[in-house]
Amino acid sequence: MIRLVRELYQYRGLLLSLVQRELKARYRGSFLGFLWTFLNPTLHMLVYALLFTVVMRQNTPNYAYFMFVGLLPWIWFSSSLSAGASAISDRRDLMTKVRFPAQVLPTTVVVTNLCNYMLSLPLMLVLGAFYGQLPTWHVIAFPLVVAIQLVFTLAIVYILAAINVAFRDLQHIVNNVLTLWFFTTPVLYQTSTIQDERMRLAVLTLNPMSSLLVSYQAIFYEHRLPDAGPLAGLAVFSLVLLWGASTIFESRREEFAESI
Amino acid sequence: MQESIDAIVLRDVVKSFRKRTIRGEYTTFKSELLRWLRGERKPREAGLITALRGINLNIPRGKTVAIIGRNGSGKSTLLKLITGIYAPTSGVMEINGRISALLDLGAGFHPDFSGRENILINGIILGMSRAEVRARMDEIIAFSELGEFIDEPVRTYSSGMYMRLAFAVATHVDPDILIVDEILAVGDEHFSKKSLAKMKEFKRQGKTIVLVTHDLNTVEQWCDLAAWIDGGYIRRVGRPSDVVTEYKQAIALAEAQDVAFTPPALTEGGGALPEVFGVGGEAPVRISGLRLTDTAGGECPHLSPETAVEVRADFSAQGRCEDVEFEVALQAADGKTLYETSTRVESVALPDELPASGRMRLVLERLGLLAGSYVLQVTARTRGGESTERCPFVVNSSVAERGVFRPVHHWVVESVPVPVAPALVGNSHP
Repeated sequence: MIRLVRELYQYRGLLLSLVQRELKARYRGSFLGFLWTFLNPTLHMLVYALLFTVVMRQNTPNYAYFMFVGLLPWIWFSSSLSAGASAISDRRDLMTKVRFPAQVLPTTVVVTNLCNYMLSLPLMLVLGAFYGQLPTWHVIAFPLVVAIQLVFTLAIVYILAAINVAFRDLQHIVNNVLTLWFFTTPVLYQTSTIQDERMRLAVLTLNPMSSLLVSYQAIFYEHRLPDAGPLAGLAVFSLVLLWGASTIFESRREEFAESI
Repeated sequence: MQESIDAIVLRDVVKSFRKRTIRGEYTTFKSELLRWLRGERKPREAGLITALRGINLNIPRGKTVAIIGRNGSGKSTLLKLITGIYAPTSGVMEINGRISALLDLGAGFHPDFSGRENILINGIILGMSRAEVRARMDEIIAFSELGEFIDEPVRTYSSGMYMRLAFAVATHVDPDILIVDEILAVGDEHFSKKSLAKMKEFKRQGKTIVLVTHDLNTVEQWCDLAAWIDGGYIRRVGRPSDVVTEYKQAIALAEAQDVAFTPPALTEGGGALPEVFGVGGEAPVRISGLRLTDTAGGECPHLSPETAVEVRADFSAQGRCEDVEFEVALQAADGKTLYETSTRVESVALPDELPASGRMRLVLERLGLLAGSYVLQVTARTRGGESTERCPFVVNSSVAERGVFRPVHHWVVESVPVPVAPALVGNSHP
């Protein structure tokens, strides 16, 4: 794991350039250009807002804002996973022709999506202001939550990217699993609305994304510090997972160039 | 002490591939599931394909080394091992110095980005830092000769422009060891000259160059050493002309014996070419040096069709050689004979007994060949064997004639009364 991170640091120039390029490439040639960074989550939000405030009434005040707080980090997570799974297997041109540490590729995906998340934050704050929800001093906990999610996401993406080189259908499975995962994560609903006691406990403890999203909602929506217990547990879990992921990744990386 | 270390040392390097990755079949969860349902415990016998069976090679610092061999003999695999893209199955590799590999031009180019942006990303991928790329940006752009196109998206480039840009970036990485895979001939006449000049500059700076190519003339003109991979082993390392000659003879022999040219790595025993006997070494008369000089014996770097030249072949003879025959051939770059003569066909009287070491000279008052690349080949033939030496040369000319040779000529235009045929004049313009 230390080697993996050290190489990432050595190749930070490459990582930076690739992220820059991804960010630029995503919107190049499109009519609205950079605005899509904001439009995408907004359209997402409008659909769900329509569904849950008009069609299926929810008792959550300021529902659109509440949902947005959770939706943005979820988009970061889910697009990292779906794109990260094929990050190595799709770059045959690079992997077989140039020598560089392979972990740069999945890392690029995660960091690019993190940047997109950061860029769409102002939109969330504007929406909050519209509902009269201004951020309070509790945002000091925000970077910590982001850091934990970053480690957790990186770990999963490394595993997926490494396995997808040998098992190409993994990338399709990931997309289906993500849909299920989305609905078992409190993005569209508050955990308090889960009727069944055991079900609520399961969502909160078995799903690592729940503790993260609940934390974001605590900071921006409930204006309090997130619960330290689950977060600390998740932080430890994420680090262990990253250690395991880098072990898997390291053991398979020699095969990457040959298998793709 | 630093100087004595070889740039690259390979010891018993073996590289095998699992067969299923070569056949391009990926294992999927579905296929694994089906296998499990059928009750097969282990994956079907995958089998190994051994591309390299035990490579021993030292590449000295500052030398240009060519790697030649048939298609599929493992040349590119070897380069990928040296570059570090592949890991060897077994064996020891030692690399001393920063490597830059030109295995593919334009790795990571993005079609929607301008040439300038692609230079940055490609340069970093090839191992430069951002600051280095920025510092060399103007130099790279100037070298690529793209002019204003540099700020246009790469997808609008012609393929020649694309290759020029990619080549420009690749050659501005500043490595100790440069690995090149078949990419020297890029762009038009003018640009390929420029690329060659760039490679010469690398050579002059004392960089180690490892080159894979099928262009045997390049090997002979350019390289200090040639290594021939055959059947998964290094079959011969030595002077380029020697290795190329033996390689060509082995191919000719294989064709004559109707040896099936199967993919070497898939063939039992590596599919090596047949052994060539009687090359150099044991021949009673051995040519040791071959040069094309001016009439005084000096170097002539610039040959033109009118240059007076001498073919000088130094030879050494063992014992009594009475039946010796010297043959001189001028060949086009593709090996086609343009002119061939020998002491036998011209009935040239040779000394009854050849000196133990001597020199054969063939004086050409005027070369007569038009601009182009040619090969000079001299063979000393005796009953006991023959020895061949080849030497490539280039002729330049400022006159854009076409063809191969320039006969001695001059032009005359003068007034002469010509009888006119009236019927023809009338019919030619109906």
